[in-house]
Amino acid sequence: MKMRSKESWRSRCLSILGRMVPYLIVIGALSIVPVFVKSYYIIDLLILCNIYAVFLASWDLLTGYTGQISFGHSLFIGGGAYTAGLLNFYLHLSPLITIPIAGLVAAGFGLGLGIPALRLRGPYLALATFAASGILSVLTSVFWKYTGGEDGLYGISSLTDNIVAKYYLSLALLVICCGALLLIVKSRYGIGLLSIREDEIASMASGINTSKYKIVIFTVSGLFAGVAGAFYCHNQLHVGTEELSLSLSILVVLMSVAGGIGTIIGPIFGGYLLIFLNEWLRFVEDFRMLIYTGAVVMILLFLPRGILPTFILMVRYLIGTRISRSGD
Amino acid sequence: MEDILTVESLSKRFGGLYAVHDLHFSVQAGQIVGIIGPNGAGKTTLFNLLTGFLRPDSGTMLFNGEEIVGKKPHEIVTKGVARSFQVVRPFHQMSVLQNVLVPSLSKKLLKKSLSRASHEANARELLESVGLGEKTGFLAADLSHGDLKRLDLARALATEPDLLLLDEPFSGLAKAEIDVLLPFIEALNNKGLTIIIIEHKLRELMKLVKRVIAFDFGVKIGDGTPEEIANNEAVIKAYLGGGARGFAAI
Repeated sequence: MKMRSKESWRSRCLSILGRMVPYLIVIGALSIVPVFVKSYYIIDLLILCNIYAVFLASWDLLTGYTGQISFGHSLFIGGGAYTAGLLNFYLHLSPLITIPIAGLVAAGFGLGLGIPALRLRGPYLALATFAASGILSVLTSVFWKYTGGEDGLYGISSLTDNIVAKYYLSLALLVICCGALLLIVKSRYGIGLLSIREDEIASMASGINTSKYKIVIFTVSGLFAGVAGAFYCHNQLHVGTEELSLSLSILVVLMSVAGGIGTIIGPIFGGYLLIFLNEWLRFVEDFRMLIYTGAVVMILLFLPRGILPTFILMVRYLIGTRISRSGD
Repeated sequence: MEDILTVESLSKRFGGLYAVHDLHFSVQAGQIVGIIGPNGAGKTTLFNLLTGFLRPDSGTMLFNGEEIVGKKPHEIVTKGVARSFQVVRPFHQMSVLQNVLVPSLSKKLLKKSLSRASHEANARELLESVGLGEKTGFLAADLSHGDLKRLDLARALATEPDLLLLDEPFSGLAKAEIDVLLPFIEALNNKGLTIIIIEHKLRELMKLVKRVIAFDFGVKIGDGTPEEIANNEAVIKAYLGGGARGFAAI
């Protein structure tokens, strides 16, 4: 009996390791990038991608997985960015301190938004999240003496002066935050989140305390978005209203949907793709926005599941394996 | 036998209309009780009250001697009341297995601190018993109506209830499917599960239950054996209008 349990433990470890292989390959590839890529411009872009990955994955936990439609993710991102920015600008606290505090403050915003959000569903919730992010934006104008108003605050300290080191820090941010988010959705509680997205009434009838789940998820989503927002602020050396803007919230939704929501990895992929697409199109500057938005519309029209899930299905189809039904 | 469920003076109004009006009844542990009544009689409202989805305007509901008025749906599930839905509510974009695993996250089942693997084994066994053993990996969205009904039942059973509320389990099912489901429900009851069942298919219902409660306009108009109910004047009037006789022949 003992032998068997030892064996099953070993086989479980092996199967977990097996499932981690694709992630390890991607992380491995990302960690050798600076060896081959010497262009600071590209590395800078990759840092941006890594930060956005956390914005997108934390949004996906809330909306893609739990079905709580948020059009106000900039509340958490900007909340984190402004917390870090103000703490650093006025109190000269190091990023090591500002980033965790920013995460906690944004988690508080998540909690504060999550409780009233319990009463709202679908488009009404989306509007409420949108309005909530507007409140913070207005507050930065009201207290312009402290926040710098439209201009924001310049001269925020950098994480490090070495761009390669900064790249690795952003990679660590990606791995830790997105890893934690993946662990949450792959844990046994993951199906609880999905059940709320699929049918909240049936979820309650199955014994799920949906209110508790939703509040926790709002808080966790806020936490990670806030941490990444603070990182972003220290990366840009500036905090401003664009971190609180509706366009950022929409960009988060757009990139996630294009990548494939409800998968955590899909939105991250979507972020990388669209950030690079946007930059590559700079050689046709006049048509850049036209091609970019056109490409997004095409993705939404023809790949409604998102790029990554469609791509995975295609690969499975091509190598002739039976299309596995999700989750089993 | 002691009462597992006692409902007293239960009322629920929507606007000026009583959906449930001053309802009194009790169910003994191990009983299987049918609830009948024309559309809009308040049957599903009663289930929504019993499971915490609606709050009654007045009255008490005791489950195993404990007051459940004001308790949230998940708390009532934890106490041991499960329900199925008249119109099935599967988690469409989840696998059949995942659908049945969701109740393993209820407080009641978490308390047992079983491993994920044993919850999965239990869920597979349950799916096997309702005849979905071959389809555990399917998306719920890909199932037929009959399979979805079975999935709904399996999910309710996965909460490990003491009282099961079935809301029209036979609706939309072919005769062959009912012929399988009927003995299955009977077997659940024989194993000691208390069941309350709302059903319009009276022929099937009368085979299954030994006691029927009849409703009309939120008021209890009859309570007795299937034969008594079939010959009850008020019931016949509610279903067929005044003057109709020979209801038992249906």
